[in-house]
Amino acid sequence: MTWRTAVGMLAVVLTSIVTAFWLINEPARMAEAAEGFEGRSIEAGADIFENNCTRCHGPQGQGLPGLAPGLNIPEMFDGARLAEVGWAGSLHDFAYATISGGRPMPSAGTTYPQRMPTWSQEFGGPLRIDQVRDLTNFVLNWGLAYEQGVNPTVPEVATIPVESVGTDINTPELPSGDAAAGEELTTTLGCVACHIHTDVGPAWLAEGDPNGEGIGSRAATRISASEYTGTAITAEQYLRESIVLPDAFVVDSYPPSTMVMTYGETLSKQYLANLIAYLVTLK
Amino acid sequence: MALFQIHIPIIDDIKAQGLVPTLLAKTDEAVTRLTAGLNVGEIRSVLRGDPPKRPNPRTKPHADGFWMHMRPTYFHKKVMPLYPTFRLGWLAVYFLTIETITGLVLMLWYTPSPLVAFENMQDIMSNVPFGMMMRDLHRLGAEFMVMVVLLHMLRTFITGSYKKPRQFTWFTGGVLLLLTLFLSFSGYLLPWDQLSLWAVTIGASMAEATPVIGREVNLLVRGGPDFGTNGLLRFYLLHVFALPLIAFIFVGVHYYKVIIHAHSLPPGDEQVGEDTARKVPMDTRSYFLPDVATKEVYWIVMWTALLILMVTVGGWHAPLEPHADSQVTPLHTTAPWYFLWLQGMLKLGDKVFWGVIAPGILVNLVFVLPYLEVGPSRRYIHRRVGLTIAAVSVVAFSALTYMGTPFYAVSSSADQEVVAALVPQTHPGPLRSTPFEQLPSGEYSATQWKNAPSGGLRELLELFQHELHKYDKELPDSEGIMIIEDWQIGLKKVTLRVLWNDGDNSFAQNVFIHQNSGYEE
Repeated sequence: MTWRTAVGMLAVVLTSIVTAFWLINEPARMAEAAEGFEGRSIEAGADIFENNCTRCHGPQGQGLPGLAPGLNIPEMFDGARLAEVGWAGSLHDFAYATISGGRPMPSAGTTYPQRMPTWSQEFGGPLRIDQVRDLTNFVLNWGLAYEQGVNPTVPEVATIPVESVGTDINTPELPSGDAAAGEELTTTLGCVACHIHTDVGPAWLAEGDPNGEGIGSRAATRISASEYTGTAITAEQYLRESIVLPDAFVVDSYPPSTMVMTYGETLSKQYLANLIAYLVTLK
Repeated sequence: MALFQIHIPIIDDIKAQGLVPTLLAKTDEAVTRLTAGLNVGEIRSVLRGDPPKRPNPRTKPHADGFWMHMRPTYFHKKVMPLYPTFRLGWLAVYFLTIETITGLVLMLWYTPSPLVAFENMQDIMSNVPFGMMMRDLHRLGAEFMVMVVLLHMLRTFITGSYKKPRQFTWFTGGVLLLLTLFLSFSGYLLPWDQLSLWAVTIGASMAEATPVIGREVNLLVRGGPDFGTNGLLRFYLLHVFALPLIAFIFVGVHYYKVIIHAHSLPPGDEQVGEDTARKVPMDTRSYFLPDVATKEVYWIVMWTALLILMVTVGGWHAPLEPHADSQVTPLHTTAPWYFLWLQGMLKLGDKVFWGVIAPGILVNLVFVLPYLEVGPSRRYIHRRVGLTIAAVSVVAFSALTYMGTPFYAVSSSADQEVVAALVPQTHPGPLRSTPFEQLPSGEYSATQWKNAPSGGLRELLELFQHELHKYDKELPDSEGIMIIEDWQIGLKKVTLRVLWNDGDNSFAQNVFIHQNSGYEE
């Protein structure tokens, strides 16, 4: 029995020492664990943002002109945005509430054609409450950069070009376009945010069309249709008109003034040429 | 005449004998009452292991006290060593106690609702002092308890202790085995993370295979077509109320039967067909006080020390995966390890036969075993067939368990397997465990792993390349690319891309990694 007593006592002493150290370290461990869960929440939020928000707010949250405001901008974090919309609560509440409920009515001073949808399941959206919380943590994490005075690197293609193309469908004459670059622009400019109407991809593809025609073929036939109200005489002109002057002709069953009206100001000649070059190839 | 008179006897004693002797005498008296018969001197004598006085005062607590009346006064010397019992039944009760204590602590911070359950777990781990330790002990104790109960059953079979007159003891043990499995299984769902939701979903999918009433059984178990608010509440109530209640009752019945029949002696120590466990001659008695009691104290100390050391310096921690998401099934999800054999059987074919009928027959065989197998001898030499069947069963269950793991007959595409080797969906895995600063931004090819700028990245790319090689047949001319981008301050985006057929086919997956996420440990 004596060796058992010795081993048992040793175990009690050892366990007590370990537990005492554990107790001393517990506040630090808990703080680290809390930071860890916040980090994982930001990771989860980044994933949700990537899958749901980038089409309107841009891959890095810099916003897409005429479509949705920037989130990764200084005004978001210096109080200007809160003052603009007249929000009396905290920035966290503003972000959480906006993501949860969406924007059923336009914010002060904005004329975005689309309303932001509701995201929280509480209000009929697709995201669980914990996901809205993760997303909020991710979006507000951009604020760190502004606190520390680091300028975010905004992808080059999304910046507004210096010389805009204007709303005339004949002048200026467009340079020759690059179809592959145009296809990429449909994502970076945010076209696909609204134009995904089919299970197979954007609505301009042939795959989702009832007649099996891509937008290139549709453009060529629409200009000669009796109900056409625009001024285009070629498929290229029709596409240009649809982008810079969306209300010149609206296809039956779509309401007018739904599309962003500002592409004449925000697109360069080259961008527009690339877009059209891509779209006409879709037969 | 006084209206009332107060008489405090202790004051008389203090006046007569002095303060200290009186207090000592009163303490001794209180201890004697609490122990139902042992005074301080006798307790010290028990702990020292002195031989008892005549008449033996140490039998009095067994006769007069509530708790000690449940324990026998003495055991047969032959059942005192590690063999034949290995203390496995005792250990099962020990773990049941540990689970009850730690479980009651955890209940204080837990609400069974999908809206807050996961957040509660995070709070327990990051905002409750010793909360994580309690959770780790609870989870580790549960794993041990399942193992101990299984081994206890195996031991009882091997020593033939289920034979007459202990058939019913075995039967109640079978009930306790099922209760242990379902206690552990029902607790699995409560953290409401991806691991728990999908492990339990797989386990519960067996219910759906029940013939005729499968749909109803499924609805009853899950509280709806899928696990949600109702399913979590049901599992919680099963876990903290219904199953423990039934388990405590059956532990009582089981242990009462053990005491009534006494522990069976080692098979070679009695005549074939005889049961002499209850006839314990004076010279073969080992008294509960002091022998068994001190050994039990020793075992409690050692096992508690082992558990605490494992969850502290040992680094054993209960996993917590991301929040449960019924829309996203993680690749390689499995049932809990003690139900893997069932998952393995399901891979053999028909869901109704292998998922319901075959396990049903097996479980029922366990219950009726002592009534079917009535050979009189407990000796190993006479039970070659039975022991062979036991050995074959252990091997078969191990094989089925292996077959239940994702390593056996799970068809998923090779490109996804390669990526999952770096970022598995059931545990953090190599990429998330790599220190944040060892992931410098840039574009890296797996073939160039030797040129990677950091040690952590080198290991990851080498693993990437190794995995691609493994699937050379499915992914001809493959190339692995890892792109690391700074996404936010403290956040990186890692894109894993697998190209094959010279770049004609590709698969890519993004992972975001935050510097504080703390997966590495």
